[in-house]
Amino acid sequence: MAAPLEVVLSSDSGSQLWNVSVFDPHSGSSLLSYRGGSSAARSLAVLRSGYLLSAQLGKNFINVWEIQRKDQLQQKIVCPGVVTCLTASHDGLFLAAGVAEAVYLWEVCTGKLLSVLSRHYQDVTCVKFTDDSSHFVSGGKDNLALVWSLSSVVHLDLSHAPEPRHILSRHSLPITDLHCGLMGAQARVATASLDQTVKVWELSSGELLLSILFDVEIMSVTFDPSEYFVFCGGSDGNIFQVSLCSQSLSREKAFQSDTDGNQVFKGHRNLVTCLSVSMDGTLLLSGSHDETARLWDVQSKQSVRCLTHKGPVTNAVIMAAPANMFLPDSRPAIPLPRFSRHLHASEGDGGESGEVCVRLGLNVQDEEETYLQKTHRLNSLMNAVTDKSVFGDGENTKVRVAELEEEVQTLKKVNKDLFDFSSQLLTKPT
Amino acid sequence: MKAKKKKRQDDFQKVKLKVGKKKPRADNATNTNFRTKGIHLPEQLKRDTSGPTTHRQLGINELLSQLHHYNANVKHSALLGLRELLSINPSLLEQHLSRLLSEVAAVFTDKDGNVRVAATRVLRFIAQSVPAERVAPFFPLLSAHLSCAMTHIEAGIQEDAMAVLDVFLEHYPALLAARPAVLLTNFLELISHRQNSGAAKKAQDAKSRMWTLSVNPDRAVSSQQWRLSVLLRLGRFLQAVVEERPVGESDMSALSERLFGSSGEGRIATLYLNWEELIYSKVGVRVYEHSGAKPTPHSTFKLRPEVDPGAAVTEGLDSAETVQSFAATLVPLLLEVWVEASTAHCPSNSTEGAHLLSPDAMSVMFQVLTVLQLLRKLAPQQEHQDALDAWFRKEYLGDFKQHFMKNFPYGTLDTPKPKKKADLKRSKQPAAILGLTVEPLALNITLCQVMVSLSQKQSQGRESDGDWVTPLRTFVRDTLGNTVKLSYRQLHMLLGTMWKMVLTQRSRTVTEDLLAAVYIYYKQRNLSLQTRSLLLSFYSKLYQQEQGHTHIARSKVLCRWLASLPLQLSQLGHRNPALSAQLISSIQAAAARGNKDLLNSLQMHACKLYDPQEGVVVLLPAESQQRMVQLLYFLPKMSQPLLANLSCCCTAGRISAGLAASLIRIVHLRSSLSGWTVGSQEAALQDVDYISFLFSTLIGFSSEDLDSLQEDDSTLPPSPLSPLSLYPTPLEQFTHHWDVVEEVCHCLEMLGSKSQCFDIVQNGICKYVTKLGVVPDSMAAGLLRAVSRLLDLSILPVEPVLRFLSQCCLSLLAMLVTLQQAAPADTNHKREAIWGACITALSSVPRLLRMLLQLLRVSDLNEEELPQLGQILSMLLQHTPLHNQLLANTALLQEIIQHLTRYSRGATREQWLTDLLYCYSVTVAHGSSAHRGGLRDMY
Repeated sequence: MAAPLEVVLSSDSGSQLWNVSVFDPHSGSSLLSYRGGSSAARSLAVLRSGYLLSAQLGKNFINVWEIQRKDQLQQKIVCPGVVTCLTASHDGLFLAAGVAEAVYLWEVCTGKLLSVLSRHYQDVTCVKFTDDSSHFVSGGKDNLALVWSLSSVVHLDLSHAPEPRHILSRHSLPITDLHCGLMGAQARVATASLDQTVKVWELSSGELLLSILFDVEIMSVTFDPSEYFVFCGGSDGNIFQVSLCSQSLSREKAFQSDTDGNQVFKGHRNLVTCLSVSMDGTLLLSGSHDETARLWDVQSKQSVRCLTHKGPVTNAVIMAAPANMFLPDSRPAIPLPRFSRHLHASEGDGGESGEVCVRLGLNVQDEEETYLQKTHRLNSLMNAVTDKSVFGDGENTKVRVAELEEEVQTLKKVNKDLFDFSSQLLTKPT
Repeated sequence: MKAKKKKRQDDFQKVKLKVGKKKPRADNATNTNFRTKGIHLPEQLKRDTSGPTTHRQLGINELLSQLHHYNANVKHSALLGLRELLSINPSLLEQHLSRLLSEVAAVFTDKDGNVRVAATRVLRFIAQSVPAERVAPFFPLLSAHLSCAMTHIEAGIQEDAMAVLDVFLEHYPALLAARPAVLLTNFLELISHRQNSGAAKKAQDAKSRMWTLSVNPDRAVSSQQWRLSVLLRLGRFLQAVVEERPVGESDMSALSERLFGSSGEGRIATLYLNWEELIYSKVGVRVYEHSGAKPTPHSTFKLRPEVDPGAAVTEGLDSAETVQSFAATLVPLLLEVWVEASTAHCPSNSTEGAHLLSPDAMSVMFQVLTVLQLLRKLAPQQEHQDALDAWFRKEYLGDFKQHFMKNFPYGTLDTPKPKKKADLKRSKQPAAILGLTVEPLALNITLCQVMVSLSQKQSQGRESDGDWVTPLRTFVRDTLGNTVKLSYRQLHMLLGTMWKMVLTQRSRTVTEDLLAAVYIYYKQRNLSLQTRSLLLSFYSKLYQQEQGHTHIARSKVLCRWLASLPLQLSQLGHRNPALSAQLISSIQAAAARGNKDLLNSLQMHACKLYDPQEGVVVLLPAESQQRMVQLLYFLPKMSQPLLANLSCCCTAGRISAGLAASLIRIVHLRSSLSGWTVGSQEAALQDVDYISFLFSTLIGFSSEDLDSLQEDDSTLPPSPLSPLSLYPTPLEQFTHHWDVVEEVCHCLEMLGSKSQCFDIVQNGICKYVTKLGVVPDSMAAGLLRAVSRLLDLSILPVEPVLRFLSQCCLSLLAMLVTLQQAAPADTNHKREAIWGACITALSSVPRLLRMLLQLLRVSDLNEEELPQLGQILSMLLQHTPLHNQLLANTALLQEIIQHLTRYSRGATREQWLTDLLYCYSVTVAHGSSAHRGGLRDMY
C-alpha cells in the first residue's frame, strides 16, 4: 500500500492504550498509534525534522517521539508549569509553548530557551505561527490576542522586554482558539471566543476585518486553505461555515439556499474543540468532546466518517504525511538536543552565547541553505506572477479590463435574451 | 380716338384755384386735430432694469461701482448701502456673490479707516449668511487681499486686517487653514522684521537671528498690545490648522483618546455580522479588498521602504521639517515677546513679587504658551510629534526654564483699582478686541502642559529633570487635591499633563501622589457627567498602560479605584446608562486581567448587581446587560445566593431569552462539568449548586411564587379532565420559559451520565413539585420536555413522578382543547410547544400513556367535558408515532370509548363521537386484527 499523502493525527484525553493515533483520511483506517501518556488540548506539534511532540495532560512536561518510532518516547521536555498549548513553526526551527500566563519560545536546533513572554494576564490558550514563521500569535483567557514578530522576540536585548507587534483586544471573553491563514506576514488571523464571536484580523496592520456574532460560544475556528470559508465549531456541537467572499447572490439562488441547514455541519453532540481542513479544501476534520472525531465533505456538508475515541478529543489535525513516518528504519535528520528550562542558561556560560551552532547530519547544511534561497526565489517568482497577472503594468491591465468588460456585456446580453425568451414562453399560455 | 383723348384729359384735369374761394380739401390730407399726453411710469421702468435699491434709490450696480470712487465718504456710504441692501434682499447675495466679494475685498486696503471698518462689517454680514463651501471658489482672491492688507506698509491697515482675519477665523477656519504657508510668514512680519539677507548669508548659525522683533512708534496701540493681538490671532489660526488635520477630529472624546496615548483605531471599516442575518438575509460578505494580492494601504508592514520621489514639495505644514523650521523662527520671537512684557511690567524686579503678573502680561504669556503648545501639535503624525518634542527639548529647554519656570506658579498682581480703570480707558480699543481676561489658573495649567511635554523618560535622559518638574508636579497635585473648580477643558489639560508626568517620571511615590490627588477630585459628589466620564477614562486608560510600568501596576490608589467600581455601578442603578457602560468596560478590562482587588470587590457586590428586581443587570439597556452577563465568567466564586439571583434573572423575563441562554452557558462553563479547561482554573461553583441552579431555572418559578399561586383563586379549579389546575401564563412568559428550558435541557444533557442526571431531576420533581395543586402551564410543559429529553431507555421513572407527569399531560391536553376552541391565532406557538411536549413525553416515557388513560374516568365527567375528552382521544389517535403505544393499551382505550358512547347515548350521536369512532377504527384496524371483534360488538 502506498503511503497516503495526508494523514489525520488525533488524540483524546481518555485513552489508556495510546496517545496519538494516525488515520488515513480517505479510508478511515488507523495507521499508527504512538504510546505513552495522553495529550493536552491544542498541544500536538510535528517538527519537520521528524519528531512528534505533545504536552502531557495536566503535567508539566512535553512528550517527544521520533516520528517513525511509535513505541518509545525519545525524551521528555520538562517545563516550569503545566503546558496549555504547544506549537512548532512551519520550518521546524522554533517551538512555542504556553505555560500558564507565559509563552516560552525555544530554538529547536540548540534547545536554547530564547524568550519567555509574559504579556498575558491569564492562561494562554493557544499559540500559532504564521506559515512563513515570521510571526506568531498567542491568545489567552484575558481576552487578548497578541501578535509577535519572531525577529523582535529573538533579537533579545535583555534590558528590553519584547513588545508585541499588535494587541488584538476586541474580544470580551476568553479566546478559545485561533488560526493563522497563509501568506506569511500578510495573513489573516481568525480568533474564536466565549463571547460568541469569531473575529478575523489582518496580521500586518492589526485591524479588525470582520466580526461574526453567533448564538453559542465558539470553541474552535479554522480557514480553508484558500480562505474562502471560516469554519467555526460551536459549544452546542454544530459547526458553522461562513463564506468570506460570497458574491451578492441572485434572487433565484437565494431561494434555493434558504434552508438554514445549508451552512451548518450537524452531527456532534458536544463542544467542537478542534477543526482542520485538508490541503485541497474538500475535507473538514472536527474533534469534539462527545468522544468522536468526524470527517466532513465540505461541499455537501455531510459527515463522511466518524472516528470514535475513548475520551474527549483534544487534538485533531489533517497534515501532509511526514516523509519517514511509515519507514521504520529511517532516522530523523537532526538529533534533538536537550531543551533548557531556564532563560539565562546562556548567561551562565557566557562564552557559549557567541558560538555559532553547527548542525550535524549528512548534507543537511547545504540543503538548508539552498532551501532558504529556494523559498526566497520562489516567493519573489510567485509575487512577480501575481503582480503581473492581477495588476500588471498599466496598459496591459487596461486592455485586459476592457476585454473582460466586453465579455461581461455580451454575457449579460445573452442572459437577458434568454430571460426574455423564457419569460415570453412562460407567459404566453396564460 | 377723340374719346381716348378726352379721357386722358379727365385724368389730368387741372384744378383751378381762385382767389376768395376756399381751397378744396386734398384727398390724402392728414387729419391733425388730435392731442397727445405722455404717461410717466418712472418707478416701473427703474425696477425693470436694475432690481431693488436702498432708500437712496441706489441699486447694487451703482453701489458696487461707487466703491471705486475717489472720495472716501462715497465709498463709506456705498458700503453702508450695500449692507442695507443685502439685509433687505438676501437673494441679491446669491446672484452677485462673486462681484460682491471681489469688490469688498478690494477695499480692505483702503486708505480711510472708516471705509475699512465698514468693509469688514459687510464682510462679516456676508460670512454669516454664506456657507463655507460656496465661498471656497473665491477664497484665493480673499486671502490674497487679506495678505495684502496684513503686509501693508500702513499700520492702520495692518490693524484692521486683524479684524478681517477674525471674521475668516470665525466662519471659514477650514478654508483659511488649507494654505497656511503664506499666512504664517505674514504673521511673522506683523511683529518682526527680517534682517537684510546679506547678514544671514554670512553664517548659517545666524539663521535664528534673521527675524527680530520690530517696534513701530506710529501705532495707535502700544507694541505690547499689538503683539498680543497678533499672537491671539496666530493662536487661533494654528488651532484651526490643527483641527483641520484629516486625522484629528474636533470631537472632544477623540481628543482625549489621542491625549492619553491610545492609537486611533478602525481605519478599516469592520464588518459586523450576525449569524442569523447571515443565514436568512443573505448579506454578501466581502472581506478582502484586493482578494489578498496586495496589502491594504493602512498596513504598517512594508517589505521595502517606499520611496516617493518629488513628494517633498513643502506646501503648507505637512512635513515635520517645515514645522520645525517654522518653530525655529517663531520660538525665539515668542521668548523675546515674553521677556519684554515681563520686564516692562516688573521693572522693580523684586524677588518676592516676581510671580505676580499684571493682567496684560498674563495674557501675553498665555498667548505665548498657547502658540507654543499648538506648534507642538502641528506635527502631522505621532512619531513626528515625538521628534519635535525632543528637538524642542534640545534647543529651548534652557530658555524655557530660565524664562518661564523661574517664577512659577504665577498669580495676578492686584493693581489698585483706579489705576486699572485708567488703564482700561487708555487702552480701550485692544481690550475690546481681546474681550477676554486670562485667569492665572488657566495660565499655569497651560504652562504645565508646555513644560511637561518637554520632559523625557528618566531612563534615557542624561540629566534629571527633577529640578523643574517638581514645582509643576506640586502645582498639579495641589490644584486637583484642593478640588478647585475646574472647567472641563482645564481638567482635560491637567489630566493630560498628569498622564505625561506619570509615564515619564516612573517613580512610584510620585505616581501615588498624583493619582491620589485625582482620586480626591474624583470622589467629589457633584461632578457633571462629562467630567466624570473623563476622569473614568483617564483611570481606565492608565490602568491599561500598566504593563511594563510597574509603578502604575502597584499603585494603591489605582487599586482602590478599581475596587470601588462595582459599588459605584450598583449605586448608579439605571440613572445613567452611558456612565454605567463606561464603568462596566473598565471593570471588564480589569477582570480580564485577573486583578485581585477588583474581583474581590466584584464578588462582594455580585448579589446586589445581579439582583433580579433592582440589580443593574436587569435595569440597564441590552448591550450593557450582555456585558454584565459576560462579567460573570470572571467571578472567582459563585455563591448560592448569587446563583439563586441568577436563576431568577433567567426566568423573570427581564433579560431576553437569548441572553438568559448565554448566562446559563457561562455558568456551565465555570462549573467543573463543562470540560473546557485550559491551564489551572478552579471551578467557580460546586456541582451541587450548579445542578440546583439548573433545576430552579427549569422550574421557572420561585417557591414563593408557587405558594402564592396555590392560594390564588383566579385559576381554574381542578376537574376530572384536568386533575391539576393550570395557571395560564402570558404568551410572552411562556415563550421565554420555553427557550430557557431548551437551554437548560442542553446543559443537563452535557453533564455526562444521562441516567444519573435523570435521577437528579426526578428526585427534584418528587421533592418539590409533586405536591403542588396549581401548576403554571409553562412549567408543566417544560417539565414534560425535560423529562422526555433526558430519559434513557434503561431507566424507569418512579411512580409518583409518573403520576404527576401524567396529570400534567392530561391537564395540558385539556387546556389545549379549550385553547383550540378559543383559537386566537397568536397562541399558535404556545399550542405547538405544548402539543409537542405532550406527544414526545407520551411516546418516549414508558407507561406514561397508560397512566394517562387510567386517569380518564368517564363516569366522573359532566356533559360539557365529554366532547373535550373525545377530542383529546381523537387527537392522540390521529398521531401516527403514538400508534404502537396506543395499541399496547387497547383494552383501556376500548373501555373508555365504550363508556363514552354509553354516556353520550342520550342525544343523537354527535359529530365528535363519530370522528372519534372513526379514528379509533382506523387506528386499531391498522393494528392487530384481533381487536376487530370487540369493535363490531360495540356497533
